[in-house]
Amino acid sequence: MTDNINKDCGLLSPEDMALAQSALEIALKEGASKARANLSCSVMDLVATLNGQVDKVTHSFDRSLTMYIFADGRYGTFSTNRVSAEGLTEFIRKGLETVRALSPDPCRNLPDINRTAMDAGSGLELGLWDPERNDMDPGRRRAIALEASIWPKEGLISEEGEYSDSVSDIYMVDTQGLECRHIETSFEYGVEVTAQDKDGNRYSGYWWDSSPKLENLEIGDCGLTAMKRAVAQFAPQDFPLGRYNMVVENEVAGRLLTPVLNALNGSAIQQQNSFLADSLGKKVFPDNLTVIDCAREEGRSGSRLFDSEGVATSNSTIIGHGVVEEFFVTTYIAAKTGLKPTVDDASRPKVMPTMRGGTSDLLHMCGDGILVTGFNGGNSNPTTGRFSFGVEGFLFKDGKIVHPVREAVITGDLVTLWNNLAAAGSDYRRCSSRQVPTLAFRDVDFSA
Amino acid sequence: MINTENYYLDTFGVSRSLMEELAAEGLRTGGDYSDLFFESTWGSSLMFKDGEVTFGGFNVDYGVGIRVLKGEKTGYAYSESTSREAMMSAAKAAGAIAGSSRSDASPARILTDARDSGSPYVRSDSNGGRPVRKFFTGVPNPAADRYPVLNDWRTCSTAGQAAFLSKLANTVTAKDNRIVKVIATLTSQMSDYLMFNSFGELKYDTRPLATVAVSVIFKQGDDMESKSVSRSWRTGSEMLSEELVSEIATMAVKGIDEKFEARRPKGGKMQVVMGAGASGILLHEAMGHAFEADFNRKGQSIFSDKMGKRICPKGISIVDDATLRGNRGSLNFDDEGVPGQRTMMVEDGILTSYLHDRISARFYGVTPTGNGRRESFRYEPLPRMRATYMEGGDADPQDIIASVKKGIYVDDFTNGQVKIGEGDFTFYVNSGFLIENGRKTMPVKDINIIGNGPQALADIIAVGNDPVVDKGAWTCGKGQSVPVSCGIPTVLVNGLTVGGEQAYD
Repeated sequence: MTDNINKDCGLLSPEDMALAQSALEIALKEGASKARANLSCSVMDLVATLNGQVDKVTHSFDRSLTMYIFADGRYGTFSTNRVSAEGLTEFIRKGLETVRALSPDPCRNLPDINRTAMDAGSGLELGLWDPERNDMDPGRRRAIALEASIWPKEGLISEEGEYSDSVSDIYMVDTQGLECRHIETSFEYGVEVTAQDKDGNRYSGYWWDSSPKLENLEIGDCGLTAMKRAVAQFAPQDFPLGRYNMVVENEVAGRLLTPVLNALNGSAIQQQNSFLADSLGKKVFPDNLTVIDCAREEGRSGSRLFDSEGVATSNSTIIGHGVVEEFFVTTYIAAKTGLKPTVDDASRPKVMPTMRGGTSDLLHMCGDGILVTGFNGGNSNPTTGRFSFGVEGFLFKDGKIVHPVREAVITGDLVTLWNNLAAAGSDYRRCSSRQVPTLAFRDVDFSA
Repeated sequence: MINTENYYLDTFGVSRSLMEELAAEGLRTGGDYSDLFFESTWGSSLMFKDGEVTFGGFNVDYGVGIRVLKGEKTGYAYSESTSREAMMSAAKAAGAIAGSSRSDASPARILTDARDSGSPYVRSDSNGGRPVRKFFTGVPNPAADRYPVLNDWRTCSTAGQAAFLSKLANTVTAKDNRIVKVIATLTSQMSDYLMFNSFGELKYDTRPLATVAVSVIFKQGDDMESKSVSRSWRTGSEMLSEELVSEIATMAVKGIDEKFEARRPKGGKMQVVMGAGASGILLHEAMGHAFEADFNRKGQSIFSDKMGKRICPKGISIVDDATLRGNRGSLNFDDEGVPGQRTMMVEDGILTSYLHDRISARFYGVTPTGNGRRESFRYEPLPRMRATYMEGGDADPQDIIASVKKGIYVDDFTNGQVKIGEGDFTFYVNSGFLIENGRKTMPVKDINIIGNGPQALADIIAVGNDPVVDKGAWTCGKGQSVPVSCGIPTVLVNGLTVGGEQAYD
């Protein structure tokens, strides 16, 4: 690969992409029946601050080639960041040697070419590339990071901020003619503060923003928001255990969706490690729960035109009015299970709103309960769906915050929890690839 | 494994003079210290699934990270090429931390006398009340190697490894007729490292790391349960033995009857007995991170103002150790070239040392403790744990359980999380037992243990005489992943919150 960066858009040069194509040719020549090559390149610059001063600057540049090799009915994957035209043949030969030592697996195959993305030629189709990244320089990055700092502020004992901008360029080809590319820029800022109350107890708060486009990055309020979140936790109090309405803030509500999406993964289903194994086409969840995959939403984090096999994504319904409409099934899992192949995972899942509004509206709707603003540990059993999560947040009454709570635990099972969904707001965080608004649930067991 | 100096120089295609030049380039704009971290890693993985080893692969990762320090500030850049041009470019980028370029800057002096090593970063007054030790400045000594390798993974046959995995999976399957799925994996890697810094120190090391793991799904009636077991060491392929097959297979089905019977208990505050071994992860997460000096230097840790003070009862000592032979967390040298060592963090209840990298050691005026670790050449080193464990006490474990009227016994944790500033932690308990009137009774599962790290330490009322360092594949994530291990004897904590269900009826 060359060291020349394609400054106009993306990072990979035509020579780099030709190298990926030649890797396929070498694989076939050396005895592979099929192969896929994934060439990825990324660059990132970061400026970290500590208490209002630059604490760290880093520069990263990565390139790697991953080969997916099918030979003699067998399959293996191999990656290297030492790619040169000279070393390619030896790398692939070694890969083939490993493949031939494995047991055959007739289910391994490339995806049907008709299912692959035909519309990802330039990598720019989704509008995730910001040319502004080319104009960034060390001075500008420092200025952004330092301007975002709120240090010093009374009550804060530490403030750590981190600004970064990056470019990712992925090029995928296979021996049946697949060729697709994804280019994405990302601008991010995150800040964590530690505040101390009058008794010397410490509380931390975090806030962040991220966007593929610099002009959409909103970092001005991050520091103050983090500080407010830290200070709001001062003087937590116990509360009586029992069943409560639970409102989960949009910043953390994705934590409850993730195990549901994991349970829809074909691999978990094939391994009998999913509590939703027999749910396809069935009404498992309530009428008011609809989750769609906005995979092709332009200009948004998480959007992609193709998955890890090159299969075209689509804007689709995952759960429609409580009915499970999609499993995430790769070509391999489809062959193993007989399920219809789809994509490897959700790209930009969105829980559809049931009402307009955000946290305060849902608090008022519920009246009394617990507002959850953070998860602290815990787990869910993928086989049974039973969960136990540590949570922190606030007790609220008559729609108003009363006092912070911590060391709380919610327990139950995920199907029951989601069937108690009272409302989903419309206050999505633009920066998140998981579009989950503030959610309200009835009758949640706060057991510690 | 420690090879010859020339082996490492040849692996990375560099000379001592070139490294001196690069270190000097990093300092050109006014930095205080620079170092180079070369890495060449070869990793392999194989998976047994659905009755056969049908998946495998390897990866190659190679490059150099260049760091420049200006006081406590860090500049870092890396290159995946060790060409002179690429490395010079990275050195310049890392040097940017020292401020704007000064074209008139005189070339930085690289110390070539080993006796100067580390001197600007060591003050001779105190080290948490302990004498300051000078760290080893000589060449790496193969005779002192903590992870010798008989059979290098890089030359181990794929077919042989696949046969081992098949045997393991089949042995597990034969153990219990309720087993419906077994996944077995073998991952191995060999990493060559070469480290050079502006003190003129040159260190090198080859670290093996291998993990064998099984994940098993059981079905009994309509109920499903799962169990996972892993064993991980820094060693060569000689670890693939009959004994290992037998040990993992036995552990994979151990306690599954109780797991099917287990229920969530009523929650509430109660005494908790932590079983010896894997419960040490709680020590790692809830206390160990708060001992890492970067969190203290930044004022974020709850232990920031506790050095030299009593933080838990007498009789409790907590160690972070890089010297255990073949242990997953052991190091001949850390990733800053500082010799791996045994660090007493808490001695007889007194906080005696944080875990330091060179930056925090300079800040506190102490010797680095060999805790500067990184995931790869792509990351700058940070203070990280190695093998963290509590030393044994004098109580009989059975007496500890017998002393509890109502409480819970836990020995299998997962998904721990801690808030460094507050010290609050939550751990998910895979399995355990209720303790009623001094006896283990109903099996329990799917609960959380919640508490505050420093408070939990202070609330320890008995320490067993059965210390065990767990052999599982623990990985610590602190922005970067590094292999660690953990251990603890049987310990009784007076009051922790147990999150069960129906706690309010």
